[in-house]
Amino acid sequence: MTAAVETKGRLQITHAADHLVLVGSIDETAAVLDLLASARDRRLVLDLAGVAFINSLGVRDWIRMQAAAQKAGLAVELRRVSEPLVHQLNMIIATRGDAAVTSFYAPYQCDSCGREESILIDAVAHATRLAKLEPPPVTCPECSAQMAFNDFPERYFSFLAPT
Amino acid sequence: MRASILIVHPDRKTQRTIQRILGVTGHSIEVADDFEQGTRMLANLAPSLVVVDGSAIGDAAAFFAYAHARGAEACMTLLGAAASEALPRILEATAITNLLVHPMPVLGEELVITAQKLLRGELFGVEKYLLWGTTLETHTLTHASQRADLTSMLGEHLKARGQSARVASMARLVADELISNAVHNAPVNADGEHYRRDTPRDIELALDGRHEVRLRWGCDARYVAIEVTDHFGSLDRATILHALAKSEVRESGGGAGMGISLAYRSCDHLVFNLAPGRTTEIIALVDIRYPPSERMSASSYNVFVEKP
Repeated sequence: MTAAVETKGRLQITHAADHLVLVGSIDETAAVLDLLASARDRRLVLDLAGVAFINSLGVRDWIRMQAAAQKAGLAVELRRVSEPLVHQLNMIIATRGDAAVTSFYAPYQCDSCGREESILIDAVAHATRLAKLEPPPVTCPECSAQMAFNDFPERYFSFLAPT
Repeated sequence: MRASILIVHPDRKTQRTIQRILGVTGHSIEVADDFEQGTRMLANLAPSLVVVDGSAIGDAAAFFAYAHARGAEACMTLLGAAASEALPRILEATAITNLLVHPMPVLGEELVITAQKLLRGELFGVEKYLLWGTTLETHTLTHASQRADLTSMLGEHLKARGQSARVASMARLVADELISNAVHNAPVNADGEHYRRDTPRDIELALDGRHEVRLRWGCDARYVAIEVTDHFGSLDRATILHALAKSEVRESGGGAGMGISLAYRSCDHLVFNLAPGRTTEIIALVDIRYPPSERMSASSYNVFVEKP
């Protein structure tokens, strides 16, 4: 079965079997509040790996969406959260709402060959380690050396802390 | 009498560092260890500029007032290593117009440019922050809808020139917020009414004549620099300082001035050049020399106001 695809402004939304895949920009044209209508069994699952940009107007709508989900008793799960979104989750506490982040991208750099990589981290499997602000170990795909986490853990992982 | 700069800082090594840096201005440099000594010195001095230690900012208000009364054009505050802890308190004071947070060698660059702008009264132009030979791309927005395409192009352009996705993303966000501010918040009528402030951002607006907004950007291997200019000059110092201090942006994402607040938190140095009633020019610098793990959690800012 082909997944349905719709476009809201500069955001493309693909309706997969049990989740939505968002690609593009979350701004004043994205109407993210409308995403709640796609909740199934009181759950809304969003794949955010393809969200490359969110501005202050998108943040406002995102916060409204989170607040409306809380009010409606919907559980929101965020998967594969992109780095630009993680920055907003860290910068503006209200963007987190009650959502559960199950995986997210994080910046790593190889001290040996200089390669920079955005690495997908499973927040559930690494929950204990992340709670201690310890980045999971990553091997460089280019030279096989150990990569270093390329931000301050207390800053980058702050969105995982209970609000 | 030779023009002077007064430094008030408790640390002898920092005093000497600042003394060496500001000596290039040709001004005589006077040094005090604390505000008490600085106040005594002000009785016999009329400094063009005072530079103070940010960690003692709680005691600075009376000193600043006295320095202004003695003819100091502006006050500059240095934060040093205690940046992240002291920053909220400094921002909440909404009285500091020039805050420099970075250690050497970045401090040297920020200090010299800030001092020269204040002392010479030459405020405008992103060129002052970039190395000689840097190419600047210039775009004039004649329609509000150009914002999204231009900022997207900026991000792609930076990535194509080898910058990381993170830097490109930060630059794009800053440019988007500053343009949005220039298009919707800057226009003001004779009654002081910001008549486009509540216009929905997704509605097309023609930016004719005075409404045109100019975007310039360049990169010199130290900074990605973004400059956005409007021709209303309606943004004032108090509005800026309150926007920078907004704690509710962090808590709830709410309130006016969120764009400025987000832009400040997404770059390393934000500069406001104001010509009231004529021009507002905002410059954002994203430092590309250091990986995120080596960057300060605070950012510098300047608010320069052209003299009538």
